[in-house]
Order: sequence, then structure tokens, then C-alpha cells
Amino acid sequence: MKRQIDITIEICGSAGDGSIAAGQIFNHALSYLGYHVMNFDSYPAEIRGFGKSVAHTRVSDAPLHTPGERVDCLLALDDPHSIAHLARLKPRGVVIYDSKPMDYHEEDQAVAGFIEPGMIGYGAPLRELSITALQSAKSRNIVALGVMAGLFSIPPEAFHYAIGKRFAAKNKGVIEANIHAFDLGLEHGRSFEKADPVSFGDADLGKRPGVAVVSGNEAVAKACLDAGIRLYAGYPITPATKIMEILARQLPKQDGVIIQTEDEISAIGHVVGAGFAGTRAATATSGPGLCLMTEFINLAVMAEIPIVVIDSQRAGPSTGLPTKTEQSDLNMAVFGGSGDSPRPVIAPASVEECHTLTLTAFEVAEAFQVPVIVLIDFFLSNRMEDVNWQRSAPGRFGQYSPPPVDPGGAYRRYRLTDNGVSPRALPGDEGLYYVSTGLEHNERGFPDYTAANHRRMGEKRLRKLDTLGRQWPEPETVGEDELEIGLVSWGSTIGAAREAIEVLRGRGIRAGGFFPRLLWPVHEKAMRRFARRCARVAVVEMNTTGQYANIVEQTLARRVLRLGRVHAAPYPVSDIVDAIMEDTRQRA
Amino acid sequence: MNSLHSPSHYVIIGNGAAANKAAAVIRKRDKESRVTLISNEFFPYYYRHRLCAYLTGELREHELAVIPAETYKRKNIRLRLGQEVVKIDFSAKTIYLKHMEKIHYDKLLIACGGRPRVPEPLHALRRHFSFLKTLADARHWKARLPEVDTVLMVGGDLVGTKITRALAAMGKRVVFMVDRASFWPLDLKDEQHREFVGALRAAGVEVLEDGVRDITPEDGAYLVTTREGGRVKAGLIGAFFGLTPDIGFLAGSGIDMERGIIVNEHLETSVEDVYAAGDCAQIYNPDLRDYWVSMGWHNAKRLGVLAGENMAGAKGSTGVPKGALFTMGTLKVRTSWWKEL
Repeated sequence: MKRQIDITIEICGSAGDGSIAAGQIFNHALSYLGYHVMNFDSYPAEIRGFGKSVAHTRVSDAPLHTPGERVDCLLALDDPHSIAHLARLKPRGVVIYDSKPMDYHEEDQAVAGFIEPGMIGYGAPLRELSITALQSAKSRNIVALGVMAGLFSIPPEAFHYAIGKRFAAKNKGVIEANIHAFDLGLEHGRSFEKADPVSFGDADLGKRPGVAVVSGNEAVAKACLDAGIRLYAGYPITPATKIMEILARQLPKQDGVIIQTEDEISAIGHVVGAGFAGTRAATATSGPGLCLMTEFINLAVMAEIPIVVIDSQRAGPSTGLPTKTEQSDLNMAVFGGSGDSPRPVIAPASVEECHTLTLTAFEVAEAFQVPVIVLIDFFLSNRMEDVNWQRSAPGRFGQYSPPPVDPGGAYRRYRLTDNGVSPRALPGDEGLYYVSTGLEHNERGFPDYTAANHRRMGEKRLRKLDTLGRQWPEPETVGEDELEIGLVSWGSTIGAAREAIEVLRGRGIRAGGFFPRLLWPVHEKAMRRFARRCARVAVVEMNTTGQYANIVEQTLARRVLRLGRVHAAPYPVSDIVDAIMEDTRQRA
Repeated sequence: MNSLHSPSHYVIIGNGAAANKAAAVIRKRDKESRVTLISNEFFPYYYRHRLCAYLTGELREHELAVIPAETYKRKNIRLRLGQEVVKIDFSAKTIYLKHMEKIHYDKLLIACGGRPRVPEPLHALRRHFSFLKTLADARHWKARLPEVDTVLMVGGDLVGTKITRALAAMGKRVVFMVDRASFWPLDLKDEQHREFVGALRAAGVEVLEDGVRDITPEDGAYLVTTREGGRVKAGLIGAFFGLTPDIGFLAGSGIDMERGIIVNEHLETSVEDVYAAGDCAQIYNPDLRDYWVSMGWHNAKRLGVLAGENMAGAKGSTGVPKGALFTMGTLKVRTSWWKEL
């Protein structure tokens, strides 16, 4: 679908100004009107009241892959914080600011003081109008939305709907007061003599009042609920905490149990225990938590216990940058642990995939009796997209069914099979008793330290991943025939790579992409097939050590262009394009 | 680095010839201090006297630029465009901007120029007039002209006469309404007046020796009733009665003003560390023993240089300005200043 409308807005305020809330109302309003939205907020690591909070939303009439880089409209709720964001404005971009703050700004603290030729400023009395509506300045953010809706002629009923949804838990008076605040802003916005090119078009996109606009974390939480987990155990950590917050409210409603443990070791211990007992269970964490969980993940590998661990990566190492995104836990997810410790690693590329692939992770965990790590990141956890749940159907790996009792002999829980998957009984199943241990063991589970047994069992555990690799759908590729450049990417960065391909093709470069969702085991044949069509292969990822590039180079036995970069922000499309163009020039 | 911690801050209100010359001179003499230019226009420094050529298509918009925006950055001069000064607290050396920001200055030059003058009897009709003082005005003319057959010109200042001839050359019907007050601040003799009118007629301009009584918008145009009962329908009404100092924001500030901001021959105002230059200043000349207000681009540049030098520590005097030669058709007028309203 050709993109006709492509508008990015930013609402910038100090923590507590309501910029994130305003962004969410904007997202819901625009998706209600039928637009596709992608939102990615940034906010400080510290507590409310300090630092900058920015709601960033891209709106289009076609599906979106990235939140966009340059901004069409900056809505400044806090002048000093907004000044730096002027640099992100597109030519003839719009700045909406409060023309009647409580007092004069000190020099160089007013965003309007930095509006240069090529920018278009609209001053509106946000604070004054808020006081008129609510007898307080608290609804400046809502007034500002009204100003924007008036200026850009966005139908107000969409915002009325979204405001009602936002304040649904409050009394009717709160909703009405906020709608009044919005309408005052709307009237003011309509009074401007419009001098900017921003237009949301007049296309009838078809209203979607029921459309869900959710974050990756919400999609993961929904997947946990849809998968029927009975236990979630976790220790709060940014950016994964939201998953636990949602499940804390929702899981008890379906007879589930949530446990906030004393640390991540305890959390995963609970989950391994539940998995052993045959109960679907999950935990979510971030890099520092995954470090602590590696020992129990090894146990789940060795004892062949199905568990799902969601790792929302953030910039590290150590505490690092808790509210900044990165893809640098891949090595730990794939290789972390002692001994040969094979486990599948799955990386969704979108919010919708956070749902579908987390569901799949539960199925894979049970079908192959393995710990499955779902790698998302801060960007994916927190970005919001409109999602069509109906398309989010469960995958192909089926549900657990207990093995038949073998009346003639002893139950071999770890029986050596061609596909590596052994018959799994649950504790208490009559006639299917076995020993489960982290020690190397024989087919019945009893410790066995012989080299031959260790080799056989190790190969059996690896064989399960081979089987999974064969059953997993063919990785997504973009572009046919011979390619000048093939972009390989994973997780949330796939969106940027996808858009970069479009840009490169627009510049006459035959570009394509290889976008796996199952990172481990590697679909070696598919990757090699793709690489054979590419004059050059570049790996795009958000880490500096080229963690996936290492895997790709090892698989292809050839050097790749390593575009591993950290920006403490989503990978900019322009960086990929610039790097490829530069490489093309150098080779020419 | 033009940072808040630099030793002193020169602020210049205005972005015309006087303001920019002053900024350049200050920066040349003082490499360290902060220099800030504040203009209520959105466009960097441009040739105002070439707006007519832009209107006729002889020049494109970018050819009006005098100094590219990058030059300001290179010279470490902060350019604040589209920002309007609403008041100045001279006792606190603080300038207040309309967008609710306050700026401290150590030395201030007011070179905000003039605004189109409209004679008092026509004040109530001001909203119907189109001026040609700024690039924004020129854009307005340029956007409207293709839809307009007839242009009525009232007033006959130097810019007005120039644009009148240009419009006639573009094939527009131009009606020029002229009376003795039209040529302010020039006081043309009868013979000069006749010569001027003749030149206009020779250029294909319809000349009405009459005045405007009333204007009624009608079908996207204006129906003009004259003092003598005539009627003219025009798509645009150009008003060109000269400029008058644009100093309304200084009302009540305590600075001495009369027709303009009163300054001595060193361009110093009645307030310490505050200077004025260009079309907004009313300058005392000890030789003339009178005040004068400058006119024209070259005069403004000269005053800007002097203001910049004096702000940076010199003590130069304006002297008597040289007359510049202006052409009004076949009529040549030498002037660069005016004294009376």
C-alpha cells in the first residue's frame, strides 16, 4: 500500500506534565479514525517530577515499521526540554507552545525563542485555557491536543472518544471537564491562520472504534494470558515491569497466581518448578535479571523442563541505561550458561508479534521440553501500535499431551529418539515415575557420568533444536533475484531495515532483506540461500559487538558488513541508508 | 561561543540595514561578547529597496538575501527572528518578548525601523490597505496580483511611485489617487507636482486628483468612494505614505521620544547604554540645531556603523547626512532625512 500520509508528532514535557498521557490519547484517537500509528515514548529513569518525557507518534494511512526520525509537529509542554527537539523538525515543521505561561521564561529557556526560519510556531494559551476548563493547569496537555486537532482539522469526536477511554475509571465529571478543555484548545487551534503543510488528509479510512493500540509489553502479557499460564513469577525491572503489572491485575481473574519474588533467581526457580509440574508459567526480566537466571535456565535445559523467559533488553552492561533500548543480550540468550546448553531464542519484530511469538514460545517450550527465551527490547516493550488481534492466531506446535503408559517396562522419561523429544510425563502420572535432576542422567533420569551417555544425551538435547529448526517456518525474506545488498536484521530493528530497503531501492540500489524470528537455532540453509543472492550482506543490530553478525559470519563463512550500532534509541533508518551508500561509494 | 556566561551582551532590536551593520561592527571590535539581533520578521536580512523587483519577477526571493543565515552562526551572532519586543525595563536592562521570554542586555541598540504611515483621516480604513514594507507584504502582493486587474494606489512615497510604474508595465490597470499630502515627507512644488503627474500618465497610469472617503469590500475586491463622489473598484489598494518610527512598544518605558526615539549626535538615547539608529531615531544635529529622522538604505547603514562603533567604545558623531538622489519618473529628488510630520 502506497503511503500517502506520513506524519510524526512529538509531545515533550517534564515528567508529570502529562505528555505520555496526551500521546496515548492521540494514538487512540488517530487509530479510531482508521490511521495506523506507531508510538514510542521516552522518559527518565528516575521518579516522577524529574527529567524529560516525550511521546513520539508516527501516523500513516499505511502500516508502519518504525516510529520515524524527523518530526512534523512538536507540541511543547515544557519549554526548556523542548528546545533540543527543534533539531528534529522537518522543514516547515510546526511548534505549538504555551503563549501564556505563569511567568516570563528566563533567557534561552523559551522554545519560541529558538524558532528559526523554516519552522512555523503557533503560540496558544494552554495554561490559561486549562484553568478556564478545570480551574487548574493540569489539563494543559489536553488543551494542547485540542489546539493540534483544530490546527490540523482532525475530527474532534475521535479525541472525545479517546479521552472518554482514558478517563473511563474516573467519574463522568472528569471526562466532561477534560473534553471541555480539549474543546477550548480546539477552538483556539481553528482560529490560527494555518501556514504549515501538515495535513492528515481527508481520506475516509474507516473508523475502527474497537482497535487495540497496545505496547509490546501489553502484547506479551496478553499472550501469557491467552496461553493459559497459571503462574507468573518475577522481580520488577525496567523495561519488563509492565508485563508483571498487567498480569498482577489479570492473572488472578483466570485462577492464576502471581508472585513477586525476592530476586530473579527465585523468580525463575518458581517458573522451573511450575514447568516441571506441568503448569504453564513465565517470567520476564531484562539483561541484569537474565544474568541471574542463567543457572536455572541450564537446569531447565538439562532436566528438559518447558519454561518461557521474556527478556526485554536495555542498554548495558550492569544497570546501564535502564530506559534506553539495545539488542545486546543475544550472546547471553543463546550461549549464556555452563556446558552445551541449547535453547531456542525467539525475537518478535513488532507488537503484534510480541503476542503471536510469545504464544508460540509456550508451544515450543512444551513441544520440545526446553526453556525458550523471547528477546524483545525497551523499544518493543514500550512502543505502541494498532494491533489486529484476530490475525494473531496460535502457531503450529500444538498442545501438550501426556505419553501413553508403557505397561511392559519402566518409564524412560529421557528416551533417546530420532527427533530428540522424549515422552514427558507429569509428576503424579500413574506408572510414569522418574528422576529429574541437573546431573547428567540416563534415559530414566538416574545420574550417569559415563562419557558415552553424556555424548548421547548431549546430542539428543541438540537434536531437539534441529527438529525445531526444520519445523519452524521459512524465515522472511524481502527482495527477489540478485541483490546488491542484503540486510540481515532481527527483533525490533527489522522495521528500520525494512524501511531502509525501500529507501535504497528508491535510490536505485537492489536491496533485500533476511529477517528471521527464530534466532537460535539458525536456519542455516535459508540464510545461505539468501546470502548466495547477495553481492554484499550487512547485519543491522543494536549492539556494538555484532552479536548476530558473529553468528551470520560463522554460518555463511564469509565477511559481512557489520552495522552494529548503539544509539540509546531505535536504530535510525537514515543511519542504515547512509552506511550502505558509503560502503557502495567505497567499493565503487 | 555566544554563551550566557560571556562578558557582556549587545542586543540589537531590528534586522534592517542599521541593525545588521551595527552587529557586524560590534563583532569586529569585540570578539568575545554576545551579540543578539531580534526581529519581528521571519526573514533574515534582505534588501528592502529591492522588494519591487521581487514583485515584478526581476529578482527571485533568495536573491533578496543580504547575509545568509549561516553567516550569523559563523560570526557568533544570535539571530532571533519572528520575535516581537513588547516592553523594555531599562532600569533592569531587561527586554520582554511577546512569547514570554526575557532577555538581559548590557548595551542595547534600537533599530527597529519604521512602519507604514497612514494619515490620520484614513486610520479607520487601514485594514483594507496593502503595504510594501516587508517581504511578507511582498509575498502578499505576489499572491494577490495574478487575480487582480485594477490596483488603486494612494499616497506617493518613493516606494509607491516605483511600484506604480512597475504595475503599469505589468499590464495592470493602475489608478493613482494623488493630493498634496501624497508625497510626504517630500514637499513638492507645483511645478514638480505637475511634472510628476504627467510622468505617471505617460506611463499609462490613470491619475485621480482626489482622495479616499470610504472603502467597502465587495466580491473579493474593494469599492472605493472618493471625496468628490467618484467610485473606483480595485482588487488591491496600495497605501504608500512613507514610514513612521515603529516605537509603540516603548510607550511608558521612560525613554525620551517625540516623533522617534530622541538621540544625540552620538546616537545615545536618554537612557544609559541604550542607542537608537535608522528610521526609528530622531537625531539631534548641533549644526542644524534641530532633529531629523533618516530615510533610505544607505543612510541607515551609515548610522548602523556609527551606532556599532559607539556601543563598542567609540564616540563618533553623525554629522549632517548627505542627500541621496531618488528618482520619481523623470523627477529627481535629493533627500535622506525628514523633519516634519
